[in-house]
Amino acid sequence: MTEKPAIEVRGLRKRYGEGDAAVEALKGVDMTVQPGEVVGLIGPSGSGKSTLLKCLGAVIDPTAGQMALAGRTIFDEGWTIRDLRALRRDMIGFVFQAPYLIPFLDVTDNVALLPMLAGRPNAEARKTALELLTALDVQHRALAQPSQLSGGEQQRVAIARALANHPPIILADEPTAPLDSVRALDVMRILNRMAAQYRAAIIVVTHDEKIIPTFKRIYHIRDGKTYEEAGEGRPID
Amino acid sequence: MINLAVRDVLHSWSKFVLTGVGLGLLIGVTFSMAGIYRGMVDDGKALLRNSGADIWVVQKDTLGPYAEPSSVRDDVYRGILGLPGVMAAANVTYLTMQVNQGVKDVRVMVVGFEPGQPGEPPYLVAGRQITRGHYEAVADVRTGFAVGDTVRIRRHEYAVVGLTRRMVSSGGDPMLFIPLRDAQEAQFLKDNDAIVSERERTAANPSLNRPGVPGLLEAVQASQTASRSVNAVLVRLQPGWEAEQVAEPIRRWKHLQAYTLAQMEEILIAKLIATSSKQIGMFLVILAVVSAAIVSFIIYTMTLGKIRELAVLKLIGTRNSTIAGMILQQSLGLGLIGFLIGRTAATLWAPFFPKYLLLLPEDALSGLVLIMVICALASLLAIRAALKVDPATAIGG
Repeated sequence: MTEKPAIEVRGLRKRYGEGDAAVEALKGVDMTVQPGEVVGLIGPSGSGKSTLLKCLGAVIDPTAGQMALAGRTIFDEGWTIRDLRALRRDMIGFVFQAPYLIPFLDVTDNVALLPMLAGRPNAEARKTALELLTALDVQHRALAQPSQLSGGEQQRVAIARALANHPPIILADEPTAPLDSVRALDVMRILNRMAAQYRAAIIVVTHDEKIIPTFKRIYHIRDGKTYEEAGEGRPID
Repeated sequence: MINLAVRDVLHSWSKFVLTGVGLGLLIGVTFSMAGIYRGMVDDGKALLRNSGADIWVVQKDTLGPYAEPSSVRDDVYRGILGLPGVMAAANVTYLTMQVNQGVKDVRVMVVGFEPGQPGEPPYLVAGRQITRGHYEAVADVRTGFAVGDTVRIRRHEYAVVGLTRRMVSSGGDPMLFIPLRDAQEAQFLKDNDAIVSERERTAANPSLNRPGVPGLLEAVQASQTASRSVNAVLVRLQPGWEAEQVAEPIRRWKHLQAYTLAQMEEILIAKLIATSSKQIGMFLVILAVVSAAIVSFIIYTMTLGKIRELAVLKLIGTRNSTIAGMILQQSLGLGLIGFLIGRTAATLWAPFFPKYLLLLPEDALSGLVLIMVICALASLLAIRAALKVDPATAIGG
C-alpha cells in the first residue's frame, strides 16, 4: 500500500490587502512532500517563503487553493478544520531561526509542554521528552535551563520540541542561520535522522549555502510560485 | 499540565519579589491609613467607655465637652443627683495642654475628677488611684511619665501616683488625671498679675465700689477669682433605667444639654472625626488607584517582555485561556505578596506611630479581597495585549 503524502498543496494563493493596494504573495503554489522526506524551500527575500510557511503552519489564512496533511484535507477554498490551534499542536512541528525555548521552563518541560497541552499526563509527557532528548543526544542537559545551553544544544532541544507530539510535518524556518558550518550540518544531520526515524516530512526554509547541497529535493520560490528541482543530496556524514 | 505562572515567577523570582515588596510597602501605607481611622474611632469609643458615664450633661446648645467648649456650674450635679434613676453624678473638667516630661513636652488632656465618681480612670497598670485632695496625678502610660515622677501643671507640681492605659482624648492625646479642684483652678483661675489687674479695675468702678455699701467690693472680687465652673457632669444610671428617660427631664427642667452614650458616639465619630475620616477615605481611594496602576503597569511590562515566548506558546497550540490564566495568576500572586508584606509592615511600624493605630483582622480580610480584585482588574490590560499577540510573529519574514 502506498503511503499518502505528508503534505500536498495545490494552487495555494495568498493575497494581502484589497483593491489597488492588494499584494499577491502566493500565486498558485504546488508542493508535495512524502513522509520521512526533508526538502528545501529556497528563495530570495520577499519571494513568499515565510507566507507559504505561515499558510502551511495554519497561522494565516490562504486566499485560495487546497492543502492536505497526512492525507487529510485541511484547506479547500477555506479551512475544513475549526480548531487550528489543535491542528498546529497535533500535526505540525515548528523549528525557528532562533530556538525560542520558553526561558522559564527547563529543557525537559520545554519539550514535554506540547504533549501536556495535548492532554497527556505529565509523567508520560516527560518520558516522551526524555526519549527525544536522548535521541538528540542532549539528555544530559534535561534539567538545565535554556539559558545554560549552547546555541547548538538549544537548537536540538527546539527540534525535540517540534517532534514531541510526533507530527506528520515539521516546518523549519532557517534553523541553521545563526550556526557555523559544523553546527549547521549537525542540525541537518539530526533533521534527516529524525525524519527517517519518526516518518515526519520536514520543510526547511533556508538561504544557507552550507546546507543547500544536502537536500535531495528543493522547492524554489520566486514571485509567489514554486519550482521543483532535484538537489545534490550530498551525504552529511 | 505544569503551572506556567509559577514557573515564570520562580524563574525571575527576585524581580517578582522586589516588585511585590514595593507594592507591599504601598499596601502597608494603605493599611496604616485604615488603621489610623480605626484608631481614631476606637479612641473616641474608649474615651466614652472609660469615663464610666451613661449620660453627659453639658452647657445648653453645645456639643461639649469633647467636641465643643462647655461650661456648667459645679453645683448642677446636686440637682441631677435628685432625679429619679440617677445613681451617681460627678463634675469633670477637660483641658488640653502641653506639659513638660523630662526633656520634652507632651501634649496631654488634663482631666479633673472626683475620686470614686464617674470620670475616674477605671483601671491602673501601676501605682494607685489618687487618695489626696490635691497635687496627685494618674497618667496614661503614653504620656511617658512613671510612678514617682512629678509633673508641673500651671503653678503646681503633681506627683504621679498611678499609671493607666488607653485613656486618650478624641484627638488621641493621652490623659492626665488630677483632683477636680486642682483642675478647676488650672483651667479657670487667672494668673496673679491678671487677678491684681482685675481687682484694680473693679475697685476703680464706682458702681462696684460704693462707699455706702460695705463689703460689696470684696464680694465682687471674691467671685471673680473663685472657679465655680466645670465642663460637664457625668451621670451614671441605676440599673433598669433607660438613658433617654433620665436625659429628657434634664434637658427640659435643668436647661442643660444631656447626651446619651449613643448620642455622644454620634458626636465623636460621625461629627468630630468626620472630616478626618473623609480625608483618610480619599487617601485610601488614591492609594487603591495607585496600587492598581502599579500592578497593571508591572504585569503589562512583564507581559510585553514575553511577546516572543507568548507567540511561540500560541503557535504550538497553547490555549488563550491558559495564557490569560498565567497572567492573571501572576497578577494575583503579586497582590498576595504585596498583601503579606503590607500587612507585616503595617504591624511592625504601627507602634512607632504617635497616634493609636488599630489593625483589625476584618480590615485585613477586606483588604485582601480588594487587592485581589484590583490585581485581577489590573491584569486585564496585559491579558488583552497577550491575546492580541499574533502567533505568526514567531515565524520570520
